[in-house]
Amino acid sequence: MDVKITNQDNKTLVVLDGRLDTTNADRFQQDVNPLMQMEHPDIDIDCSGMSYTSSQGLRIFLMLQKSVLAHGGKMVMRNMNPQVKEVFDITGFSNIITIL
Amino acid sequence: MKKRFNPIKDKSSEIIEFLMSSPDIPDDDALQFKLRLSIEEAVENVVRYAYDGGIGWLEVGTSLDHDSLILTIELRDAGVPFNPLEREDPDITLSAEDREVGGLGIFLCKQLMDNIEYRYEDGNNVLTMTKKV
Repeated sequence: MDVKITNQDNKTLVVLDGRLDTTNADRFQQDVNPLMQMEHPDIDIDCSGMSYTSSQGLRIFLMLQKSVLAHGGKMVMRNMNPQVKEVFDITGFSNIITIL
Repeated sequence: MKKRFNPIKDKSSEIIEFLMSSPDIPDDDALQFKLRLSIEEAVENVVRYAYDGGIGWLEVGTSLDHDSLILTIELRDAGVPFNPLEREDPDITLSAEDREVGGLGIFLCKQLMDNIEYRYEDGNNVLTMTKKV
């Protein structure tokens, strides 16, 4: 999976492209680790290219969301494909992460 | 089709792709998404936890009943006896602050497949997942 992270006007834009699975979850976690150090993060994740996520990906999104709340910030995920959205729905993640 | 992988350390992808290439799996993207996710979670469970240091084997197979169109995916290993279905389901109503990180893998299998059964047989863990395809 390709991960692009850009910071602009106090906003962090994350663009995900590909499959998030057991082969690349560790690397994805390293990619987003710096976002967990930020004070008042404002994170916008574009998921239009993310075709798949396993529980390994979900755990990272939950860690990120926990960190965002603990640091007084906000995070949205947008343009999720219907199958990935279903995974967020059945795990209850749709209720704890803002999905636009 | 059936194959035994040995050793299985760092072989998750190979095992998942072997199962996903089965002729028993129909060419249907939405269905394949659910099957891939269930297979990944079940395979990872064995690769990560069944054997100390990941040294051991995992036999995986698929079969399709052509009358009922029920697909069966079976995983068999000789690791530590462990029934993953005994693990309590996560409470999906909790807030982000209160949710525990992890513990979603087998829960996803349960949600995405029609049925999952575990048995301990001849010194082996046997996990059987079925879904109408």
